[in-house]
Amino acid sequence: MLSYLLAIVIITLIYLLLSFGLSLQYGSVGLINFGHVGFFAIGAYTSALLALSGVPLLASFCAAAIAAGLAAWPIGLISLRLRDDYFAIVTLGFSETVRIIIVSEKWLTNGVQGVPGIPRLFSSLPVGFEAQLATAALLLLVCAAAAFTIWRIINSPFGRVIQAIRDNEDALKALGKDPARFKIQVLMLSAALAGIAGAFYAHYITFIIPEQFVPLVTFYVWMAIIIGGVGRISGAIVGTVLLMTFLEGSRFMRDFIPGVSEVEMASLRIGVIGLLLVLFTLYRPQGLMGDYTKR
Amino acid sequence: MYFAQLAVNGLVQGLVISLAAMSITLVFGIVRFPNAATGDVMTVGAFSGLIVYPLTGSLLLSGVFAVAVAAAVALASHLLVFRRLAGRSVVALLVASIGVGFVLRSIMGLAFGHQPMVFSMPLSRPYRLGGLAINPLDLQLALLALVMLVLAFAILHLTPIGRQMRAVADNPALARVSGIRSGRVMAALWVLAGAIVGAGGVMLGVKTVVGPEMGWDMLMPAFAAAIFGGIGSPAGALLAGFILGVAQEMSTPFVGFTYKIALSFAIMLIVLLKRPSGLLGRIEGVR
Repeated sequence: MLSYLLAIVIITLIYLLLSFGLSLQYGSVGLINFGHVGFFAIGAYTSALLALSGVPLLASFCAAAIAAGLAAWPIGLISLRLRDDYFAIVTLGFSETVRIIIVSEKWLTNGVQGVPGIPRLFSSLPVGFEAQLATAALLLLVCAAAAFTIWRIINSPFGRVIQAIRDNEDALKALGKDPARFKIQVLMLSAALAGIAGAFYAHYITFIIPEQFVPLVTFYVWMAIIIGGVGRISGAIVGTVLLMTFLEGSRFMRDFIPGVSEVEMASLRIGVIGLLLVLFTLYRPQGLMGDYTKR
Repeated sequence: MYFAQLAVNGLVQGLVISLAAMSITLVFGIVRFPNAATGDVMTVGAFSGLIVYPLTGSLLLSGVFAVAVAAAVALASHLLVFRRLAGRSVVALLVASIGVGFVLRSIMGLAFGHQPMVFSMPLSRPYRLGGLAINPLDLQLALLALVMLVLAFAILHLTPIGRQMRAVADNPALARVSGIRSGRVMAALWVLAGAIVGAGGVMLGVKTVVGPEMGWDMLMPAFAAAIFGGIGSPAGALLAGFILGVAQEMSTPFVGFTYKIALSFAIMLIVLLKRPSGLLGRIEGVR
């Protein structure tokens, strides 16, 4: 039971890293990124493949962050030239393209069969509880560092520039600031966070397939930050915890409602997510922890 | 000859993309957001057709039923969700449309399950036209699409409500001061957008298999075609859909089956960066 709870904590923390990135992007510079899972996938595959070829985990984790961050660079350049809604479509296409490349390039990624046997973190510790606990602790540390970094960014001169970009880009340009650089930096930073999240995911689950990186994951994260409240660290945390409670809870629900198959449950889950997305945008756009001083 | 055959095969696929892209471009041009639920309305159309087909055995009747159901679903999504978000940011509409799509997909999944289903069409011998094999079924489907397209363009260009729609698309403020009742125009628009994509759903269902995810998988090519054709231009969407459909089929021997979807993404990206007005669109701020 305890190790099951720990497993949920680990997955929640991984999702939290994703939520932080997305929340920073949308809440600060107003980028609508519908392809966050693409960076997650790049991180997962980079770290997994490097680790399997003998690279130490510390290096493979760094490589995952760097690869995901670099992948965000061209996306950032594109974002400068597109309106928000077009950018959303482009990023959605980007993450699907990443997945298609993973499926197709079998020599590298083993295609739909996936990559098995990815080494665990802390493999020197006895398998089971201790290793899990160490992983959770490390993740917590990384999340705290990420939250602190984001908090520092939001409350720094850099952060005020970022918020100004969201509120009035033209006025900012007139003041002689270059919003382009900030947008790209924010995008690359949150992509790197997603890359690290991907690396943790790969080394925790130890088996990755392209099916784990469908756009649904991006929208799980969107649901988390919309419910929690966009652009706030507390919002990301509350939203992610609620999301995981719902995802895990729906697994237990199946034990109580007889006659519901796994695919039916999956459909039901998508339906609830969709309904929540609609209801929150309609009735509570600030989310639970939102900033009520603004509209 | 081989490529000519691929091009012919691509035409029907292209028609499906065209129909979905037209629906997207109509909504995008007038309500001004990319409706991500379009693909799932298409799925609704396909399942509706699938219910009626075994009962009647008529492709036309199942097409009509699918069009009606999809139009009703699109109208409902407007009345229940999108109308209430008028004036809110694009992201609100966009996220809500994702939500609407999820709800539709969930209902389809719960009602029909995830086993792929097919229209059990009688097999027929293809017509031979100078070495090209043309499937009679494809002809029927193309005819169905043609009827839908003629209807759509007739409504847009020959009826008062169509003229009003185009006026709202052109200049919403001017349309309002000229006394156009935007509520009715919007309702008509959503009915039309739903009907068009419903027909596309039946076509796609007959050509491939019917499943809850089918429409979502069409979304990328449809967005690509809508952008390629020029947002707000139904004729452009039609043309771009054809080009994409044929290009996808013809590229298969070179890049393989899975990269077909990536092709539409690449085309979309190039169009957005190099010629954001698309084939037939006017220059509108995409940047």
